[in-house]
Amino acid sequence: MKQIEKFSFERGVAIDVREMTLYYGDFHALKNVNMTMPERQITALIGPSGCGKSTLLKSLNRMNDLVEGCRVEGVIQIGGENIYAREINLARLRKNVGMVFQRPNPFAMSVYDNIAYGPRTFGIKKKSELDGIVETSLKSAAMWEELKDRLNKSALGLSGGQQQRLCIARALAVEPQILLMDEPTSALDPISTGKIEELCTELKKQITVIMVTHNMQQATRVSDKTAFFLLGEMVEMGDTERIFSMPKDKRTEDYITGRFG
Amino acid sequence: MERAKEKRLSSARGERGAKLLFGLCAAFSIVAVFAIILFVLYRSIPAFREIGVFNFLFGKIWKPDWESKVTAGKLEYKDIFGIAPMIVTSLAVTLGAVLLGSVFGVFTAVFLSFYCPERLGRAFARLEKIPMLRTIPLKGFVQQIINLLASIPSIILGFFGLVVIVPIIRDISPNGLGVGVLSAVLVLAIMITPTIASLSKNALEAVPREYFEGSLGLGNTKNQTVFRVMLPAAKSGIMSAIILGVGRAVGETMAVMFVIGATPGKFPTSLFLPVSSLTTTIVQEMGYVSPGSIHESALIATGFILLLFVLLINLVLNFTKKEKLGGDTVFHKKLSQAQKERKGEGYVRVYKQKGGIQTALKWASVAFALTIVFTLIYLVGFILVKGIPYLTPRFLFGESKNGAPMLAPAFVSTLMIVFMTLLIALPLGIGAAIYLNEYSKKGSKFVKVVRLFIDTLSGVPSIVFGLFGMIFFCGICKLDYSLFAGSFTMVLIVLPTVIRSTEESLKAVPDSMREGSLALGSSKVRTIFKVVLPQAIGGIVTSVILSVGRIVGESAALIYTAGSTIKMPSGYSGTGSTFAVMMYRFQVEPVKGLGVNAMYATAVVLLVIVAFLNLLVSLVQKHAGKPKEKTKKEKER
Repeated sequence: MKQIEKFSFERGVAIDVREMTLYYGDFHALKNVNMTMPERQITALIGPSGCGKSTLLKSLNRMNDLVEGCRVEGVIQIGGENIYAREINLARLRKNVGMVFQRPNPFAMSVYDNIAYGPRTFGIKKKSELDGIVETSLKSAAMWEELKDRLNKSALGLSGGQQQRLCIARALAVEPQILLMDEPTSALDPISTGKIEELCTELKKQITVIMVTHNMQQATRVSDKTAFFLLGEMVEMGDTERIFSMPKDKRTEDYITGRFG
Repeated sequence: MERAKEKRLSSARGERGAKLLFGLCAAFSIVAVFAIILFVLYRSIPAFREIGVFNFLFGKIWKPDWESKVTAGKLEYKDIFGIAPMIVTSLAVTLGAVLLGSVFGVFTAVFLSFYCPERLGRAFARLEKIPMLRTIPLKGFVQQIINLLASIPSIILGFFGLVVIVPIIRDISPNGLGVGVLSAVLVLAIMITPTIASLSKNALEAVPREYFEGSLGLGNTKNQTVFRVMLPAAKSGIMSAIILGVGRAVGETMAVMFVIGATPGKFPTSLFLPVSSLTTTIVQEMGYVSPGSIHESALIATGFILLLFVLLINLVLNFTKKEKLGGDTVFHKKLSQAQKERKGEGYVRVYKQKGGIQTALKWASVAFALTIVFTLIYLVGFILVKGIPYLTPRFLFGESKNGAPMLAPAFVSTLMIVFMTLLIALPLGIGAAIYLNEYSKKGSKFVKVVRLFIDTLSGVPSIVFGLFGMIFFCGICKLDYSLFAGSFTMVLIVLPTVIRSTEESLKAVPDSMREGSLALGSSKVRTIFKVVLPQAIGGIVTSVILSVGRIVGESAALIYTAGSTIKMPSGYSGTGSTFAVMMYRFQVEPVKGLGVNAMYATAVVLLVIVAFLNLLVSLVQKHAGKPKEKTKKEKER
């Protein structure tokens, strides 16, 4: 793979968010967020709809740049570099900080081309090399066995669960260090959800995963750290076990015991 | 590290460069419209100066005395150019055609939207028993007929007018001529009806379904609902459709040329009087003027006046479009009115089931729609029956050596123009569409202006495009009459179609695709070319087909740019005629009495091509967006 600088993490910290504030036009979507996300662990972001958890996730690889009128203040550091600095290269950032969306979005191409799309972006043209990447990516997404005979079929012909795992494989193909997942299972059936959760636990041996989820059970099942958001504020963050067993903040307790949301 | 930085900078520069390039493609329409206005105006100035704007506009006499005499050793000109009669004729003919066309068009739209059964079996109980006929998709069929009628080249309509309508009018006309105002009105009405019908249908179908149900729920009959709630609610959309019809009718040349009578300088004082309109005068006399003369300039100035009319109509259209769907206001007005009545003193409720008028209107809509359908069937059938016998292989593929009409050169010229036009118009149009859909920000002024100019460009009459091509490409660019000049002119004509059709399909590509690609670190340009455009291929193919249709049927814009020889073109710098121009040529100079037969036969070829292209469009639209199941690699296996 063409050499693209990696972020170098220090002292086990992958992402460091400092005094971050975000506006959509006049709407104050995130208010003074401070948090650190550890390397090679799964951090879950939970909270009711509209609390800003997806917004935060999308700020981590600057997908929010696509939203008109979006303004960010404060600092987000990945591996010690401020990703909102002027000279930051978006392609490098997004290659290293991959993303999986709420709804599967495979391109209207074959399975093979979907996965090879990212590597090709970064200048890999050799067939043998691409073949290798496709195989490794599918294997790490645990779908090589089911897809190896239909690599040249359209990706749109797969089931929803398969499509979502394909999107994960596609994201893995460019060897990201961090993978952002925006409610990756909300559009899927329980069996596919189980497969993706398994996959996440497998993935964290290699990479850092940040996952937005609506589903508190999912957070307890897969995540190491959990952060609770409410009305644009990060209310509380800590070890998942601790957050769900003895939250410090009253609002967190209300939420996890189902009083609102 | 240094190198990485350099690459970063260059890729950012590449991104900006691409955006600039797409922006330029979008801005091209603005440049084109200004160029057309300015160059046509520039060549009109000698006439305005010599004749005087007032005399030119309000003069009642048009006598270009091109056989200027030499008296007493002095060259004596006696040219009088007044276009008042032509202006009045154009307006009168347009008014008549639009009145007829709107009645037919709107009623047909009502029929299609509300009364046309999906399948033939639903129309008549008796047919229900015949399985073959029962399943014929009646609505789709009528819709296809309207589409086909809309895409018939105007030269064929003109020819149909000449061989069918003129003889009928001749029988009822007191002067026994047939050609004249009434024939022109009828042909133009046939031409604009399908446009008005399909646009009105869109407007009717955009009215919220709740209105329909709401009205039925109040105890109105279906007919009352259709004519008293739905039709008024679609008012503004229907108005736009009619105004668009006005624009098309006033600028049309070829459809009226054969039937209007070619008599410049007469006011249309009677329905049966042979006259000349602005457009027909230009086409008929342009071939005979000496270059650089006042007569030539006067004809160009005539085109300029026509252009002003059309620009005005476009502006009006732009303003009517801005209004929201008129439905809310109409519906609410009616409601509040009813409430007011109810509250008024001495109000006594009277429940009467009325609606006789609406029932009559329903049957009127059925009748009008059937008339349209039968007109098209008759038109096509007539031309096929008359033309097919002359469709010999020699006529189709022979090359004329002695002036006998043959079509091989038309095949070659048409293909050459299609190729060159698409070569330029596709990148330009797709680039513009990409800018409009992928780069524009909400509420951008530039985008608004670009859209206005694209609309304007699409409303310019083809004869004005022809004049501009003649002045700019043939004259200023020194291309003379050539396929180059013809192709460049056609680029301007098809560009709005390419932009719109591509933009439509770009809009249909979900944003999640763009996000997915960008999130992998792909640049915007790569995202557009690798992910977005491949999914929008349906729209691009549609735009190619529509453009081909436009080129095949175009004549007014090509006669004075690509020329109208019946010879084989020698290359892009040589002259050549497309099918429609060939048809025009056969009419103007009926070679050895074969002219009319050759016209029938050429019309058949044109009709077949147009019908085929229409079929292609509906096939593409049906299958666009479906995932391709097989890729190249699979085929290799």
